[in-house]
Amino acid sequence: MKVAVLGCGGLGHVHARIYAGMEEVSLTAVCDIDAGRADRLAEELGVAAYADFRDMLEEAEFDVISIAVPSWLHHAYAVQAARAGKHVICEKPIALTAEDARDMIDVCEANGVRLFIGHVVRFFPDYVHLKQTLDNGAIGKPGVAHASRKGGHPAATHPWYADEAKSGGVIVDLMIHDLDFLRWSFGEVARVYGMVRNEELLEYALVTLEFESGAVANVEAYWGYPGQFQTKAELAGSGGIVQTSSLDSSSVRVHRRESASENGPFVAIPGSPSFHSPYELELKHFIACIRGEAEPAVTAQDALRALEIALAAKQSSQTGHPVQLAPAAQGYHGGDHR
Amino acid sequence: MTTLRIGMISFAHGHAFAYFHALRRMPGIEISGIADPERGRVQSLTDEFGIRYFADYEQLLALGLDAVVICSENALHAEHAIAAARSGAHVLCEKPLGITPEQMDAMILACRDQSVQLMTAFPCRYLPAVREAKRLIDQGEIGDIVAIKGTNRGTFPGGWFVRPELSGGGALLDHTVHVMDLMHWITGAKADTVYAYAANLFQPGLDVDDAGMLHVRFDSGAIGVIDTSWSRQAPFPTWGDVTMEITGTRGSLFVDALAQKNEVYSRSADQGRWDYWGDDMDTHMIQAFIDAIRSGKPVPISGEDGRRAALVALTGYRSIEAGRAIPLIEA
Repeated sequence: MKVAVLGCGGLGHVHARIYAGMEEVSLTAVCDIDAGRADRLAEELGVAAYADFRDMLEEAEFDVISIAVPSWLHHAYAVQAARAGKHVICEKPIALTAEDARDMIDVCEANGVRLFIGHVVRFFPDYVHLKQTLDNGAIGKPGVAHASRKGGHPAATHPWYADEAKSGGVIVDLMIHDLDFLRWSFGEVARVYGMVRNEELLEYALVTLEFESGAVANVEAYWGYPGQFQTKAELAGSGGIVQTSSLDSSSVRVHRRESASENGPFVAIPGSPSFHSPYELELKHFIACIRGEAEPAVTAQDALRALEIALAAKQSSQTGHPVQLAPAAQGYHGGDHR
Repeated sequence: MTTLRIGMISFAHGHAFAYFHALRRMPGIEISGIADPERGRVQSLTDEFGIRYFADYEQLLALGLDAVVICSENALHAEHAIAAARSGAHVLCEKPLGITPEQMDAMILACRDQSVQLMTAFPCRYLPAVREAKRLIDQGEIGDIVAIKGTNRGTFPGGWFVRPELSGGGALLDHTVHVMDLMHWITGAKADTVYAYAANLFQPGLDVDDAGMLHVRFDSGAIGVIDTSWSRQAPFPTWGDVTMEITGTRGSLFVDALAQKNEVYSRSADQGRWDYWGDDMDTHMIQAFIDAIRSGKPVPISGEDGRRAALVALTGYRSIEAGRAIPLIEA
């Protein structure tokens, strides 16, 4: 099975290097509109470089495309690849509107190709453990959950993130990880209430999810946090509590002085190394699914639902009113979340 | 230093025991009597420390006290505070100040009419981490406050706390008010819109909520949320928490007010335990009350402060009924 990667930014690098190291697939090409960036990555991995996706579609040999371009481009490239008969693995969020997301799903189905969305938190061992602890009954019935994700503002280095029309903002881009995780854990969401504050290089959101079961969760997402990227979560149930925190589980901590001066500033770099990164587990799993060797741990429908919850939270933050979600059982049609 | 004569009305709320011991250790204080309809609740104290017991609080008030500490069931705060004020005693009242806006207005008015002071017992203002956070924020360390995510999670209290006619509400009322008061105090802003969710998720078959999530918007534009749930239970190693993730335009400040703890793992217990070793908030709050009435200066946490925090919780219940965010009632 042959794979190509579209987008040679941070995550494109991650994807390409993982495929290059996988025995199950061979990476044949990478593509980026920044030709220099594509060339450098292609040279590192010994594959072909393209600056135009249409050229790669015509010339390169691949069965699967891994899409790691800015979110507003997901839909167009995924649809184009699907129509060319390529299986699609696409970074989250699936798209920026539910209509685009549904179209991606429909076009992939119509063209007989698979579609996978990179909700990588489902492959983080700490979050998998939370879910397993809930599922094995250790904390009883779902009660109150929290999830939090904070880090620097990505627009500080990639200005497109500051444009909501391109990134979807902090809820659609960042919080969506936890929205998917919490729905995975606590089930379907019935109602969403959201609050957002936007300042210069700061976007902060507080969202409450009311689940069909009656359980509730509050989710925090923060772009512009002046500290180490960090995540934490807690599931509290009728029979107990399970908590995780990326800071508390930093198993390697480096502290070093930035200058020779005794009292100069210092930097602290907490790390949590694993032998297999969650991205590697995720991409291997998606490839196994395409080869018919595994059932997807997260589907495109899950990704669509996470997007719908995120969009409902945004809508709530704009109107000041809670947003009722259409029951999942009734399908994913209709753009009105009220 | 003249001796201040203090009475205590009701030990229904367990905080009364901490307040009692704080008062007992304070110089210049006489605990003149304890009134409680349930003698058994206080007998060990009255016996050990030789304190007069009254079944009827009116008889206690007839002693002509300088001040009273009220830890009765929430629904009785108003009756007790108004009677105390009429007897000429200053009042320190357990939170929430009352369970209806009318009750709280009457309490504030009665104290004003009698020229006695009314203080709401919000001991969390006397957690050192909270005071330090306020100091740092006041000096502009993180810029203007954008948002506060707070938690005041706790243990299922049982008893009258889950009888709505006595408590006025469940976890949403019980645990909104502490952090809400801190939010008001730290931001200097007023809550003006509230959205809440509450449910019975931890203990089966309650008549009140034991889980709550309350969103608030302030007149400054800041946003906030508080988890009020009684979600802690054995074998969780401590009773609960007081935390605030405070986001400002120039930085972020995290308060984990009870983080000053040591972890105890003993073979004599079947669970680990977190022992808090930080400064005792109850003692410092009681001291502040006593200092204010002794010096004639305004108490540091007014009845109005207590009313404002409780109104947010009461608005939360109205929001749940309405199914939407609503303006603060009687703002």
